[in-house]
Order: sequence, then structure tokens, then C-alpha cells
Amino acid sequence: MRIGANSTMSGAMEIIGSFADDQLCARGISDLRAAQVTDFHVFSPIPSHHIEHAMGKPKSRVRLFVLIGGITGIMTALAITIGTSWEWNLVAGGKPIISWPPFIIICFELMILFGGLSAVTSFLVNAGLPAFNSSSGYNSRFGEDRFGVVVKCDEADGAGLEKIESILRNAGAEEVLREAA
Amino acid sequence: MAAALQEPTTPTFRDIDRGVIRVMEFPGLAYWIWIAFCFSLVAIAAALWTRQIYSGLGVTGLRQSVMWAIYITNFVFWVGIAHSGTLISAILFLFRTRWRTAVYRAAETMTLFAVATAGLFPMIHLGRPWFLYWLLPYPNERYLQPDFRSPLVWDAFAVSTYLTVSALFLFMGLIPDVANAREQSTGWRKTFYSILSLGWQGTDRQWRHFSMAYLLMAGLATPLVISVHSVVSWDFAMAQLPGWHSTIFAPYFVAGAIFSGVAMVMTLLIPMRKWLKIEDLVTPWHIDSLAKIVLLTSLVVSYSYATESFMVWYSGDKIEQMTFHMRYFGPWGWIFWVMILCNCLIPLLLFSPRIRVNMKALWIISIFVNIGMWFERFDIVAGSLAANFNPSQWSSYTPSITEIMITVGSFAWFLGLFSLFAKFLPIVSMTELKEGITFLRQAVKKGSSTEA
Repeated sequence: MRIGANSTMSGAMEIIGSFADDQLCARGISDLRAAQVTDFHVFSPIPSHHIEHAMGKPKSRVRLFVLIGGITGIMTALAITIGTSWEWNLVAGGKPIISWPPFIIICFELMILFGGLSAVTSFLVNAGLPAFNSSSGYNSRFGEDRFGVVVKCDEADGAGLEKIESILRNAGAEEVLREAA
Repeated sequence: MAAALQEPTTPTFRDIDRGVIRVMEFPGLAYWIWIAFCFSLVAIAAALWTRQIYSGLGVTGLRQSVMWAIYITNFVFWVGIAHSGTLISAILFLFRTRWRTAVYRAAETMTLFAVATAGLFPMIHLGRPWFLYWLLPYPNERYLQPDFRSPLVWDAFAVSTYLTVSALFLFMGLIPDVANAREQSTGWRKTFYSILSLGWQGTDRQWRHFSMAYLLMAGLATPLVISVHSVVSWDFAMAQLPGWHSTIFAPYFVAGAIFSGVAMVMTLLIPMRKWLKIEDLVTPWHIDSLAKIVLLTSLVVSYSYATESFMVWYSGDKIEQMTFHMRYFGPWGWIFWVMILCNCLIPLLLFSPRIRVNMKALWIISIFVNIGMWFERFDIVAGSLAANFNPSQWSSYTPSITEIMITVGSFAWFLGLFSLFAKFLPIVSMTELKEGITFLRQAVKKGSSTEA
């Protein structure tokens, strides 16, 4: 339900600022954070370093999962190759039973395989996908050509609402709407 | 002409979305006839393979000593074709090459279907394909374990990893675009895109993890692509057969793979941009960049041919020299010279900037490169086996109708799958095009404010 600025309804609400440009959007985010407003999220049609820096969130944990996946791949490959060679002593061409150089190839391939699987799995888990419900304030234009900042606030805090609206407008928002959460 | 080669900056985000989503509208009769044609050829190939399984490999032209021929040639050819997709989608992503944005999805899709096609050939080549699982390393009652010192086992690991990682990489990149398509479609398409997009909405949290995962996938795919064709080359180079046993094979095969793969991207993209009406998105500037890669890799491949021949001469190895003499002037000498013409001489035309923007000429050149690279693989695989160590074993090889039709079927399978993808999923990345245009606009703005 979309309501006007003079609504008298009470409860949680959202202020949605819509920007035409990621740099303007990033400015709005920085200004909100400078004003100690922290309960907000952003929609964007493209990945943007400006927005990511303005959000000031820590680096993604996906890196750690990929590292663990890669190491697991190497350990698995070592277990398969060395384990198999010990269990079935197949001497070929007078080569040692544990022949390191060819085993490195299997280690490399399984490192990539497990690292890749970890990257996708950890991305999905960390990003909350698959998501069965829409994030609040979502508008299809945020997937197309607009950048949206959705600030959660309390309708009773009239001065606070106006301050947030003013921050978003001053940062260059094309449109600022209030919506019941 | 120079103006035509500017990077396009004018489309808005909406233009990009409309341009790509329009391609995904329900196709006409001509499209379905094309799909039916492709899969009819696949059905013929499947029937002939069934007959081969029933009757044995005697229905092929494989005879002592040429026991690897067209099937293995096709395997190497299709793995090679796959490589350019990863080059464009992963390696050029790490280098932040902007022209890749319009063409990488098509190239990446090509990679996936080319590896899927290549993976069929070792199976087809087996006399008893139902024993393929013997390659899997798990404790079993047969007391039969893969020998990890065999390049064929490395190959099984490398190609299956490549197929998995390519599929994941393609799927990841598709998620934001499919979510965008979901918002602009109705009916069964909306349901289909909703499932495929996994509920993506482009929140800051989603993008943060997506960007990191995509970067790391590109970082993993880059050494993978180099390793896969190196491993494929070791299928030959680790053997002691003259014509195969060479230390130059790994870089030579990787360069050849990128050469043939980029040529295949051009073969597909040039007609596709016209038929799908995406000429505003995939411009001559993009095709020109692809042509430059073909030219560069052609020079690398030509240098490799020269080095290989030089090493044979300089080594003084009489057996190796005889094999190469047979390769140049033997019964299959014409194959070698066709290869030289297609891979070394015709691509030199790409030095001309005028040819690099002439779509018809580029398409014809790319077809020649595809032919030349197929012949190169055939010459290495079958040619070396036909003229091996022992002259009493020298033999010839004539492909049977089964092998020819299965080869034709593999091209139809690849083209059919690619055509289905191109019509039902975003064949151009909307997200990356928008990102590229945003970058350019901001650079222009920054430049003009600096000038002011």
C-alpha cells in the first residue's frame, strides 16, 4: 500500500528513494550512514563498486569458502591417488608406485572443481538464494534502470521521516516515496 | 569506417533490455524448421551409434594401425572450440576487457555445448560404452582401479571438471539477467524464469556475494582452461609415437584451441546478430576485436607449425623425419596443405582493417579456420598412426558412413542446442552491457569535468 506524506497510519514504514545513477545512489547511502541511519537496503540493476564502498560492509565470506573448497579438493585428490596406488600396487613402466608428478594434475583439477562448487554454493547460501519471498520495497524497475534505497523507519517519528526524505532528495533521488512495510 | 568501430555508448538501460528480451520472443516457423532439421540429423547419428554398439566397431573405418581417427579428432576439435568461451568470459573478465560484454554470453554458451559434444566422443569411441564408469575411481569388487599415471585418466578428470565449472559459471552469470527477463515476461516464461532466477532481486547483499563469487570463478576457470587442452595434448604427447611425442604440444594445442574457438564464435555470431536483430548490441567493433584475436592466434599456430617442423629436422631422428615427410608429401599430404592454407595463410587477410569490418568476408574466413583446425587434428591423430615406427604397419584409413554421419550429427547437436539457448535465454548479458555503458558514461563525465 502506497501512502502520502500526510498519512496518519501508525507502524513500520519504508521510505524508498529511486536514483538514476549509481554514484548518486552511493552519495545517498553515504549521507544516510553519516546521519546514523543504518536500517536500509539497496536494489541495483548492476554490481556497483560505488554502492559497495558506500555500504561499508565487510568483504564477502565467499573467499573463505572457496579456499576451504580448494584445499578439500587437493586433499581428496591426494587421498584418491595415493590410496588407490597403495591398495593396488600396479607397477607401470618401472615408475614408482607413488608418482607425484602425475598426481599433481589430479590435485589441480579437483582443487578447481571443489573450489568452483564451493564458490557457487557459498554464493547462494550467503546471498540468501533461492529466495521465495520478495525483499521489501522491491520494484521491477530496480532490475532494469533504477537504483533503489529502501529505508526502514517508524511512522510515528515524523521528523525522522522528513529528515530521511530530505537526505535522499538532496543526494539526487528522482523520486522519494513512503510505503507501509 | 572508423566511426563504425567506436564502442557504443548511446543505448540506455531500457534499450538494452528491450533489445535482448525481444530476441526471446516466441520464434517463428523458420526457427522450428531449423531445430527440427538439426535434431533429425542427431536422430540419424543416434541410430547409427546404436547400430555401432550392436555390431561393434567393425562398422567404422578403424583398422590396425589407425585405431584413433575421426571420433578422437572430433573430441579434440570440440574441446578446442570450447576454449574461446572461457577465454572471453573468464580471462578477458580478469583483464577488464570491455568489448567482451556483448559477446561473452554467446561464447560461454558455446563452451558449454562444445564440451558437452566433446564428452560424447570418448563414449562413442568405446566398443562397450556401458563400461565408461570404469574410469571412476572408487573401491570396487573388480580389483580394477584407474591408473593415475595415464593421461587418459587425467583427461577424464580435466574434461569433467571443465564441463562442471563451465556450466556453473554460465548459470551464475545468467541469474541477474534471467531475473530481469522474469519481470518482463508472462505465462509459462515467467514461471520458467522465476525458477531459474532463484528469486534474485539485485539487493546489495546479493551483489556483494555475487561479485566475489564471479571473480573467484573467473580466477579458477582461467588456469583450468589452460590445463584442459594441455591435458588433451598429453593424450598424444605422452605416447612415444612419432608425430605425437613432442614437448611443444601443450602450448601449441592451447593456442590452436583459442584460434578455432574464436573463429567458431564469429561463425555463430555474425549470422546470429542479423537474424536475431541484435546488430545494435553486437557491433562491428566487437567483431573486429574477435578478428584480431583470430589473427594473433593464427600467427602463434603458424609459429608452432614451423617450430615443430624445425625440431624434427634438427633432432636428426630419422623415424620422426619420415613421419613428417609422409605428413607433407604422403597420400594425405593434401590435408596438411589445406591446413596450412586455412590456418596460416587465409587469416593473414585479417591484417586489413577493411576486411575486419566486412561481415561476409569474416564469416567465410572463420569457416576456413574451422575446416583448417579440424584437418589439423585429423592429421595429428590419424596421420601419425598411419605412418608409425614400422613401415610394415603403415596403413590408410577411410571413414565409414557411420563415422561421417555421427560427425555431422555432432555439429547438428551443437547448433541445435545453441539455437535453443539463443531463443529462450538471454544470449547477450544485459547486466554486463549496462555495467560497461555506466563505466563509459562516468569516464566521459569525469573527462569533461577535468577538461572544464
